[in-house]
Amino acid sequence: MTITTTAPAIELRAVRRVYGTGERAVTALDAVDLRIPSASFTAVMGPSGSGKSTLLHCAAGLDRATGGEVIIDGVSLDGLTERALTKLRRARVGFVFQAFNLVPALTAAQNVALPLRLAGRRPEPGEVTAMLGEVGLADRAGHRPSELSGGQQQRVAIARALVTRPAVLFADEPTGALDAASGREVLRLLRTAVDRHAQTVVMVTHDPFAAAHADRVLFLADGRVVDSLAGPAGAQEIAMRTAALEEGVRAGDVAEARR
Amino acid sequence: MNLAWQMVRHRFAGFAGTFLAVALGVAVVAGATTLYLSSQPETPARYAGSAVLVESPESGEYELGRPHHRPWPAAEATALAGRLAEVPGVTAAVPDPSFYVQRVVDGRATGDPEQSRYAGHAWSSAVLGGYRLSAGTAPAAEGEVALAGAAPGTVVEVLTVAGPARWTVTGTVDGPGFYVADAAALRRSAGVPVIGLVVDGEPEAVAAAARAVVGADGTVLTGDDRDRLEPGEVTRTRWLGAQLLIAMVAIGGFVAIFVVSSTTALSTAQRRREIALLRAVGATPGQVHRLMYAETLVVAVAGSAVGVLLGAAVAPLLAQPMIDSGLQPSIFTVSVQPVALAGTFALGIVVALLGVWSVARRAGRTPALDALREAEVSKRAMSPLRWVAGLLAAAGGVALLVFLPNLAIQSQATVGMGAAMLLLTAGALLAPVVIVPLVRVVTWPWRRGATGMVVREGTLTGVRRVASTAAPVLLTVGFAMLLTGTVATITEVEGAEELAKIPAITVATADGTPGLSEAAVAAQRGESQLPTWVHVNHGGTVTGYDAVGRSDAPGLVLWPDTAAEIGAAAGGTVSLRWPDGTLGTLPVAAVDADAPAPVVVPRDLARRHDPAALTTAVMLDGPPRPAPGLRTMSARDYVQLDIDREERIIDIFLIMLIGLGVGYTGLAVANTLLMATAARRSEFRALRLAGAGTGQVLRVSSAEALLAVGVGTALGAAVAIISLTGVREAVEAELGIAVPLVVPWGASAAVVGICAAVALLATAVPVLRRR
Ligand SMILES: Nc1ncnc2c1ncn2[C@@H]1O[C@H](COP(=O)(O)OP(=O)(O)OP(=O)(O)O)[C@@H](O)[C@H]1O
Ligand SMILES: [Mg+2]
Repeated sequence: MTITTTAPAIELRAVRRVYGTGERAVTALDAVDLRIPSASFTAVMGPSGSGKSTLLHCAAGLDRATGGEVIIDGVSLDGLTERALTKLRRARVGFVFQAFNLVPALTAAQNVALPLRLAGRRPEPGEVTAMLGEVGLADRAGHRPSELSGGQQQRVAIARALVTRPAVLFADEPTGALDAASGREVLRLLRTAVDRHAQTVVMVTHDPFAAAHADRVLFLADGRVVDSLAGPAGAQEIAMRTAALEEGVRAGDVAEARR
Repeated sequence: MNLAWQMVRHRFAGFAGTFLAVALGVAVVAGATTLYLSSQPETPARYAGSAVLVESPESGEYELGRPHHRPWPAAEATALAGRLAEVPGVTAAVPDPSFYVQRVVDGRATGDPEQSRYAGHAWSSAVLGGYRLSAGTAPAAEGEVALAGAAPGTVVEVLTVAGPARWTVTGTVDGPGFYVADAAALRRSAGVPVIGLVVDGEPEAVAAAARAVVGADGTVLTGDDRDRLEPGEVTRTRWLGAQLLIAMVAIGGFVAIFVVSSTTALSTAQRRREIALLRAVGATPGQVHRLMYAETLVVAVAGSAVGVLLGAAVAPLLAQPMIDSGLQPSIFTVSVQPVALAGTFALGIVVALLGVWSVARRAGRTPALDALREAEVSKRAMSPLRWVAGLLAAAGGVALLVFLPNLAIQSQATVGMGAAMLLLTAGALLAPVVIVPLVRVVTWPWRRGATGMVVREGTLTGVRRVASTAAPVLLTVGFAMLLTGTVATITEVEGAEELAKIPAITVATADGTPGLSEAAVAAQRGESQLPTWVHVNHGGTVTGYDAVGRSDAPGLVLWPDTAAEIGAAAGGTVSLRWPDGTLGTLPVAAVDADAPAPVVVPRDLARRHDPAALTTAVMLDGPPRPAPGLRTMSARDYVQLDIDREERIIDIFLIMLIGLGVGYTGLAVANTLLMATAARRSEFRALRLAGAGTGQVLRVSSAEALLAVGVGTALGAAVAIISLTGVREAVEAELGIAVPLVVPWGASAAVVGICAAVALLATAVPVLRRR
């Protein structure tokens, strides 16, 4: 792992997230320590249920950790009110979900302008169009989400996430619902954001080819970071590691079952 | 906020429910208040030419919020008019007595019986209305009359208090009424209630001078104050109409608040993901809050505007039906009431904002992560606030019902209705608590079938949705059962009570007249009562009592509580004032709880001091003798006549209020179910993908709709029965007899049936359209 001198964009210190209580408690994150350097592209991989989404939500301030500390762009989320947290998120974090990213009532341009307006800022003329242009949708500004394809919707969502120039952009399986070509387009956009605008990107994915776009790949299992691969790594190597990991999980399951 | 406008425009279907609820509620309230404010007392047309009027002094007694007056005795009125005539600027000062007269054509009395009580006037009062002779001369002697529509020299048959008479027409007048010589008019009326002044000076200046002359002996009125002189009959009719309108405003307003808040809650629940997305993108709780208010404001302004226009447009159409039903006087006209319209417009907006208040708080707290949850599973159907509000409303309603018997009878209806409204609110708020066990029980037999399972799990996870759709049903069923049940319970009691004490005799009663003339009574053998009233001054307070004159009364006979109130006992004397304004002192002959009225006086005294009194009925002792304006019937029919008249009015009230309540809430049922079903498109799509045919999807959605109707019916019936029990207790306490609880099963079943039909239709339409 390379040692970065700049302050990390995101820092997690012994973060735990437990769902439910008592008998039914599920530990989705178990003492995760993590530093995501600025202007880097990180991919998070791992078997289903390993805690990838939970990690993303906690790191983005969408969800509160049960224990430990999350620091976004130098600000600790500990003890922030809901309002303060929302404002921090609005200013420093962008988020792209797997689906249902856009407000159906608003056009693409209005969706992109939404975070600015919520922050009480009138978008500068051309600002929104330029952003849509960057994702290649300048001609679709006036369309509503229902009139856009899945890939186009996802690109609008990326434009919206980037319009505030956030410290970090989180994306949870942004290509999960897309065909290969649209998926590549989305990944290219994310890569450009890192390379050209020095944006920090953290992306969850199951797809080794998608992960291959990242500078670093983190492997999660059972709520822990179990492995990491400094990039740019080849898709093949990532696939091998994933397979090994899933093997390990399965072996663990078998061992557990035997006990 | 611009965003709000966008949201409303895009999701108009989601807001249509709120829009409709606001528009209809505002229309009802705007229409009713327009009618109410349009029906204000007016200066009678026959005082149009008299800018200053002097009213006889107040007696100190009030009825329906209006003071009673003590008319001047004829001599006093004439003397006062003489002094007023001297006031500078006064060209004429005319005492204005009125008396009963009705024209008889072909042996039948004609014209409106109640209005005929005031149809006769003194000739000199014609000038007060600016009426003139178009032919002939003024009446000067007894037996002469001037009236409209008869040529001088004609002989007309009339009916007066004394009996039938033939009057010679001396002149034709260009205004309504019978005008006789002044002395004759004074003789026929019970005192003089008004002296009219014809002035040629500035009315205010003349009025000031007149006040100095009149002193405490009357009230001088000018301008709009003269509206007070509207005949009591007209005012009573207006009052009756006002009761209906007030009830309409109360029920309309309540239903509007109820439906608006439940549709807002439903549409907010349906938008949970969208709101969560906004939160995820960076909307603070406060911003979500404000967005919800702004959206509601947009919808409410539109809804209120439409409602106000609708109300203003419909109100004039209701004028004639109200006049025909005896709820407004025939002179009633509807005018545009800017205050009512503006007030209702504002009210609609306030109601909508109140409706959104609690949901907005909740929506603000929506976690951003909910945007990622596909299924709209509301985890906690009952928030602490909902628990507290629901239990408080229930406790308040029950407390009011418990206190009901201790309240004055006039306020019982209002308080009872208030209690019912609280209980209905409690029912709606606490509905989710009932829904879960109810659904478990009801779906038990079908738990293994696919439909049963889906319905069961669907309703159990969507408890709030079911509660929202059940709310209007709850309201409809509750209202319908409560209103019909209350009336049925009360009329059953009244009817039973009155019919029980009727002897099997024949009664002679009025036929097209307000009462029986002296001649008609004298011709019959049998006991009769002459209804009149007296004012008694006891220790400084003046109280008016209904009195009857009976030929067998040896002196005054009083009810025990009347005697107690005026501090009189048998053997003592009571000073009283008669309707003609004169004072008298009478010995108290007896105190008797079985007396036919609070005060019974000797008939001849009542006759002498109330020349306008008409006998209501004679209990016949022998064969009836025919007379104009008289017919005979069995005592039972006679009582039934009274009950029927009362029931007709009650029926009009019921039809209006139930129509209003059920119509409105029925619409709300359709509306919420349409909303709920339309929003579940994706769920139904998933069902179809899982292999369900349209029939099965329809079965699932219909079963859920019926469950909601069932929940609403159960809760509504529970509220109605609790409230009816309260009403029954109150009536029992009042009358001291056992009262059966009348539950209107038929009407309730009909209402439930309508609700179920509406609900099925409203769910089937979106499902079938999605094919
Ligand atoms: N709201 C919740 N309540 C209870 N348990 C939860 C909740 N959300 C997640 N979990 C549990 O936490 C664990 C981690 O879930 P998470 O969604 O982070 O997994 P993931 O790695 O994103 O999986 P996938 O690749 O399938 O999206 C899982 O065992 C899951 O069952
Ligand atoms: Mg996930």
